[in-house]
Amino acid sequence: MARIRDLSIEICGVKFPNPFLLSSSPVSNTAEMVARAFDAGWGGVAYKTIAHDRTKIIHPSPRMAPFNYENKGLVGLQNVEQTTDRPMADNWSDVRWLKKHYPRNVLIVSIMGFSLQEWVELAKMGEDNGADMLELNFSCPHMTVEGSGMKVGQAMELIEKFTSAVRKTVKIPILAKLTSNVTDITVPALYAQRGGADGITAINTVRALTEIGLDDFVPRPNISGKGAMSGMSGPAIKPVGLKCVTELAQCRELKIPIIGCGGAETWVDMAEYLLCGASAVQVTTGIIHYGQRIVEDMAEGLSDWMDERKFKNLSSIIGKSLKNVVSTDAFDLTRQGAAEFDLEKCIGCGQCYIVCQDAGGQNLGWNSKKRRPEVNSERCLSCMICSMVCPVDGLITYRHVPGKKEVMPARMK
Amino acid sequence: MKTWRESETLENTSDMERGWPLALAVNEAARCHLCHDAPCSKACPAGTNPAEFIRKLRLRNVKGAIRTIKENNILGGVCAVVCPTEQLCQKGCVAAGLDRAIDIGRIQRSLIEYGWQIKFNPVESADARPGKIAIIGSGPAGLSCAAEVARNGYKVEVFEGMDEPGGVLRYGVPSFRLHPDFLDRELQDLKALGVKITCGKRIENGGVDKLLAKGYDAVFYAPGTWKPVEAKIPGSDLKNVISAREFLASMRNNRQKSLTAMVKGKNVAVYGGGSVAMDAATTARALGANKVYVIYRRSLREMPAAKHDLDMALANNVSIRTMSVVTELLGENGCLNGLKGCETDWKKAGDTSAANLVNVPGTEFRLKVELFISALGYQPEKETGEAGKLLKLSAKGLVETKKDGVSTSHPQIFAGGDIVRGPALVVEAVADGKSAGKNIVSMLAKAKKLPVSGRGGK
Repeated sequence: MARIRDLSIEICGVKFPNPFLLSSSPVSNTAEMVARAFDAGWGGVAYKTIAHDRTKIIHPSPRMAPFNYENKGLVGLQNVEQTTDRPMADNWSDVRWLKKHYPRNVLIVSIMGFSLQEWVELAKMGEDNGADMLELNFSCPHMTVEGSGMKVGQAMELIEKFTSAVRKTVKIPILAKLTSNVTDITVPALYAQRGGADGITAINTVRALTEIGLDDFVPRPNISGKGAMSGMSGPAIKPVGLKCVTELAQCRELKIPIIGCGGAETWVDMAEYLLCGASAVQVTTGIIHYGQRIVEDMAEGLSDWMDERKFKNLSSIIGKSLKNVVSTDAFDLTRQGAAEFDLEKCIGCGQCYIVCQDAGGQNLGWNSKKRRPEVNSERCLSCMICSMVCPVDGLITYRHVPGKKEVMPARMK
Repeated sequence: MKTWRESETLENTSDMERGWPLALAVNEAARCHLCHDAPCSKACPAGTNPAEFIRKLRLRNVKGAIRTIKENNILGGVCAVVCPTEQLCQKGCVAAGLDRAIDIGRIQRSLIEYGWQIKFNPVESADARPGKIAIIGSGPAGLSCAAEVARNGYKVEVFEGMDEPGGVLRYGVPSFRLHPDFLDRELQDLKALGVKITCGKRIENGGVDKLLAKGYDAVFYAPGTWKPVEAKIPGSDLKNVISAREFLASMRNNRQKSLTAMVKGKNVAVYGGGSVAMDAATTARALGANKVYVIYRRSLREMPAAKHDLDMALANNVSIRTMSVVTELLGENGCLNGLKGCETDWKKAGDTSAANLVNVPGTEFRLKVELFISALGYQPEKETGEAGKLLKLSAKGLVETKKDGVSTSHPQIFAGGDIVRGPALVVEAVADGKSAGKNIVSMLAKAKKLPVSGRGGK
């Protein structure tokens, strides 16, 4: 049995047993599922967004489609899932049951009102039914109810208005869950902070079109002959999530903690989100792909890495990379380098030669007899694409070459 | 690996291993390094070009991948099944430098089967052109030549001596390795090109010369070699001493019942180390033989059998006795009841040729066997020499060709496959047919003053 470190962390005054949370989504739809997730090791949940019974929610059918790449399935996931379609009474009953049976796990309840009054009512019900925190869903990019979800997250005054109304209603901490489908995510975050939010969750799914059917010309998922711009999740959007979390964490005016979300599946993703300033990370697509059990590997992997790197606790990881994320004009352009080849390891596929010819600096030659690249580091652009296609780990590495000038292609003769 | 239960019959399509569903082929293709100047493509005698069809599969150009295979090798499905890929395309596979070679054969086969599933016809023929050619033999060489010539718009007639087309593919390879249904499906692609195959028509004395006289513009001679090389061992005249050719062909001639009676519960020895020997041994086990031995004079390393066929024999509990020769067949009342053998060794270390073998005194052994199958290869039949005065034969009875391996001393006669090479691989016969086809097409274009069309594989 692996030795798991103390991974607990305090966010907005609430103690989380670990930073691994289910996000508000199909994976947090019922108490039964969430209970099993807690048993499996998840520290908390953002319970699937509860909306008011006044508006009947019907999910489009089918509601999800995969984004596959070569033989790899679910690199991304496209969905038109809505807020919960369960009656409020069932959900609040489940929320109460969870708090009663799992008092140590953090119960964040996600809510979405379709009017100011509904935001207030839902917030009150959330607090009364035992939620540790509320998460205001300002970010679902494909609500079938006009003027809700992401539409709020793109209208700054509404964010502040709704947050402020909830703030006045409840004492428990409030998170604003924001959309990345804006020019600068720090702007809505600051409006949420002004409205009284205690933290930010970022990001929700990214508005996207993943695939068009070549047989029916309909985007996926195909809902009786039509598709829609809708939310994409999964590893493909992790870079967008990391970007947004970093922007939020680097924003001086923003003083509240951030819970990261977007494409995290492994402890490595978790560590990256923490390094970029997230205090905890929410997960859905990873569970849709592999099940709740992935939390074991998150906990074990993160513990081992913390041991290796001698981190005492989670807080010492959070935001550690922020000082290294700079604007591009801050680079030292006097340092140039080259790709270095350890040809002892080479198996002779020649992909490095192909990409150097077709997309790089035409620096590599090819010895067809030996089936090995011929390396000329003087003309190497150090773009490093050769290393990206090389199938052998560690064969091609970047090396700084002191005194080397930048390399430019010659004119055509 | 599939093992045969005694109750299993061979004449069942499901006996033959299937290719992968397309998604699994994509999986395997994803391991490919898409090499520059790929060794696999350089290694295929028929130029099937695995590097190109794997790249096409990777880039979701599935029809293009099938087209690459079939345009380059009209028997792409058959070759994918019977080819000793580990000795050819997969031998130089760069992926082996990391773990193991790409299973090119299985990817190829899966693509071909997928094409059949979606009813994709990858090979189209050009507009009809004046000119007709005759092909003798419907084995891999003949069929591949037929495809090459027919898709360029010329008329092709194939003459086959047996009842059904395919030659060695039908009568020499057991159905668990290559089922006749699979072969027939691949032959449909040829027939779609307009190739006419006439079966049950053996070429009589002077047949090749007569075909030219009848007005065929060219003749491709590819009858194969069908006469088993006899084991020169005392006792070869005993009853129940047969050749692998006779044994395997009987499986196709509805004589399976009498064959089963001959084998069931008996001990069988197979002499030889090629794929045919393995096929015979596995078949004997499948028919209910008790013990089956394969006796081979050299070591496993020199064994010419495809790895797949050896594995199949081993999985079916065939005992492989390498570095051993049979010295005498023993009998009682004219009927075989055992054999005497002896172990061999190399006279000079490092030379693994057959000529360097020597029997080791004191290692003599006896086996109790009731059937002896010799699988020592094939040689030309007597009829080859009589097929035409225009054919020049070597001392071994093989047809002599020019440097290109397929042109003969007569400008309108071409030859290929085993009848030129002696014992060779299916894919080599395909290569000969293709090469002869190209020669014939350019000859016909010149003779009819037509441009050589751009059709045909590279």
